[in-house]
Amino acid sequence: MDDRTDDVTVGSAPVIEPGYTFATVTDKISAIVLTRPTSVAWLFGFGVAFLLTMMMLYAIGYLFVRGVGIWGVNIPVGWGFAIVNFVWWIGIGHAGTLISAILLLLRQSWRNSINRFAEAMTLFAVACAGLFPVLHLGRPWLGYWLFPYPNTMKYWPQFRSPLVWDVFAVSTYFTISLMFWFIGLIPDLATLRDRSGNRAAQIIYGILAMGWRGSARHWARYETAYLLLAGLATPLVLSVHTVVSFDFAISMVPGWHTTIFPPYFVAGAIYSGFAMVLVLAIPIRKFYGLEDFITERHLQNSAKVMLATGLIVAYGYGIEAFMGWYSGNRYDTFLLWNRLHGPYHFWYWMLLVCNIGIPQVLWIRNLRSSPVWLFLISLDILVGMWLERFVIVVVSLHRDFLNSSWGMYYPTRWDWMTYIGTIGMFLALMFLFLRILPAISIFEMRTLLPQAEVKPE
Amino acid sequence: MSGPRVNNADLLAPPVVQTIQQRSLVVGVVFAVMSIIGLLIRPGEFFPAYLLGFMAWLGVTLGCLAILMLQHMTGGAWGLVIRRILEAGTRTLPLMALLFIPLLFGMPKLYVWARASEVARDQHLQELTRAYLNFSGFLGRAIVYFAIWAVLAYLLNRWSDAQDNAALPDNTHRFRALSGPGLVLYAFCMSFAAIDWAMSLSPHWISTIYPLIFLVGQVLSALGFVVAIETILSRYKPMSELLKPDHVHDHGKLILTFVMLWAYFSFSQWLIIWAGNLPEEISWFVRRLNGGWGFVGLFLAAFHFAVPFVFLLSRQFKRNLPTLMWLAVWLMFMRVVDLFWMIEPTFHEQLRVTVWDIVVPVAIGGFWLTFFFRNLKGRPLLPLYDPHSREILEPAHE
Repeated sequence: MDDRTDDVTVGSAPVIEPGYTFATVTDKISAIVLTRPTSVAWLFGFGVAFLLTMMMLYAIGYLFVRGVGIWGVNIPVGWGFAIVNFVWWIGIGHAGTLISAILLLLRQSWRNSINRFAEAMTLFAVACAGLFPVLHLGRPWLGYWLFPYPNTMKYWPQFRSPLVWDVFAVSTYFTISLMFWFIGLIPDLATLRDRSGNRAAQIIYGILAMGWRGSARHWARYETAYLLLAGLATPLVLSVHTVVSFDFAISMVPGWHTTIFPPYFVAGAIYSGFAMVLVLAIPIRKFYGLEDFITERHLQNSAKVMLATGLIVAYGYGIEAFMGWYSGNRYDTFLLWNRLHGPYHFWYWMLLVCNIGIPQVLWIRNLRSSPVWLFLISLDILVGMWLERFVIVVVSLHRDFLNSSWGMYYPTRWDWMTYIGTIGMFLALMFLFLRILPAISIFEMRTLLPQAEVKPE
Repeated sequence: MSGPRVNNADLLAPPVVQTIQQRSLVVGVVFAVMSIIGLLIRPGEFFPAYLLGFMAWLGVTLGCLAILMLQHMTGGAWGLVIRRILEAGTRTLPLMALLFIPLLFGMPKLYVWARASEVARDQHLQELTRAYLNFSGFLGRAIVYFAIWAVLAYLLNRWSDAQDNAALPDNTHRFRALSGPGLVLYAFCMSFAAIDWAMSLSPHWISTIYPLIFLVGQVLSALGFVVAIETILSRYKPMSELLKPDHVHDHGKLILTFVMLWAYFSFSQWLIIWAGNLPEEISWFVRRLNGGWGFVGLFLAAFHFAVPFVFLLSRQFKRNLPTLMWLAVWLMFMRVVDLFWMIEPTFHEQLRVTVWDIVVPVAIGGFWLTFFFRNLKGRPLLPLYDPHSREILEPAHE
């Protein structure tokens, strides 16, 4: 797992193009924040994203006035878009932690140029995800009842419910991700403080840099703290989506109650997470001319991760379908039939095409290094993974054990406005992040330069 | 490469391998004779024990195959230094295919669905045996599984052998090209093999994560085995010079990872089935958590997961081969206990360890090890002309 080894085996693309020095790396990345003027394209992109955010706030405001009745949820489908989108966003968040923590522990230094914005992406995705279950509560202002705290109502959460585990899993995840991201930013915030010509920026970056001076002692403590946090964050990559999968699997609904769910959800999360990383990285490297830092190597490795996790997801579908048939359980058999031929069959087949069919082209090496193709395939995977959650939530619920209780689920425009609005909020936050913080870790990029290598004595 | 300072002959396995091979054969023969007595006097107890032994040693063979393909995919010195051990392990596959044959004769003793009288009384079994679980299907699928594993093992071994000939052109890219699809095929075949050979012992019970527990368990048994073998080899040349603490550390980390994965899968399976509490699912656990089997389950939680996990957290522990070796051997044993706990409660309501549960796995192991060591001494312990071998022969300065 040594980097030198990997260089030889991959043979082609380096993690950083040759010809850079410590100073040029710093210049190139910090210039995006400090010296480049705000471009019209940025303003336009941010403007659109901001408008979508406003639309979401409008939809949420109306929800507060009228209640969840404005959504398409009803009996039998009580978990509609809110839960679909919650799981989708949480899943997307996973790539950030995987890249920043697990790949750090595995000494995969190629992560250094994508970890920063992948972590930012995680935070924003978790923020979007966290909205949905709270809105779904019906009385979101009582959301704090989810936490166990001493109160006069003789009220205590049901600790056997995975929904309560979710509260802890997601809030821990957000906290650790935020800590990890912020600590990783400190040396770069100090760089921005030192390079900024603007007094206000100097003060703000200075406060955030927490007095970082880059002394050897700072670095020693910093490295220890960062590694410890990586160790803490690693189990979270597995635990969060495992708990999300328990929300379903602990119940007895056919299509939900199946033991493969935990690893299959985790793989699906990483699958969609890497797809989102590529959807963001490919335009960013293009518009900001960062092809030297986010190289073909990063695209290829991300594509391989997507291929591998996509195959695990396919394994999950396959084994679930096989066991449904093998068990001879009439409800499981019916569920399979209902997915393939029921009223939502089009979406199930689309899911198979998007998630299993199309991504198989990633076996082709040339496609793995083509930014345009990867961008399109990643979008396809994001759609596929959304459909997967739609199929799991809606198709399992809408026809349960009793024919008399069957029904259909149709999302309303408020559902769509909230969902598309969160995409807007996510993008708006990403635009702001790109403008005010270094999107690529400056100091970690410098360690990739040949000059940084420790020479043998 | 600055010209190799060693040649293939320097890299051959030490003579101790020959000694162990002979002793393994003696153990194998003696225990095989005892097993045959078991077959004659207690066929009902012999076959469950045989299935246990078969699954345990098949796990080492296929685990070696999986790690071999994994190391071709990832690269890294940790894999190269044990590659020849893994390859020797995969070349025991013909023996395992041969040892599969007795299972065919034991089918009515082992599987409810293979007993006509029981099938006649059960409608689900009638449908299942007609469609899937029947003799021809069982045999046909086994032939497919073994054929696929054999092709993978054969190609990887042949190409690796070709690497020892410096005159032939570099063929490293081929390993990668095969290993990606190879891992997919291995996982696919072994999943269905786990359903056929072990899960169908309780034909009314399903668990979708069950095959994954087998996959992870196989890799874990093979890792334990490799660490044990590298400990023996590291006392002699050439392994004493090749194996570095960094490699051992990586092996230790892999063991830790797979111990955690095993626990994660096993715990998820238990939690989901326990919470659902459906009669057709929970019955599997009711049997395995009562009548003394529950102690085996607790033993697994404590000594297949908790205790090894705590030890493996320590960096010193993972880098120190003599101590890591004890844990590795222990985990190989715990793999057998886990299989025992999954397989044997089908046959006895009360916890029972028959003498055959020990004799038969040891007999199979004796023959397995004989084959393994014969394979191991056939080739140099390091693929000298692999482009990455220089990293092991001339390690970077730390």
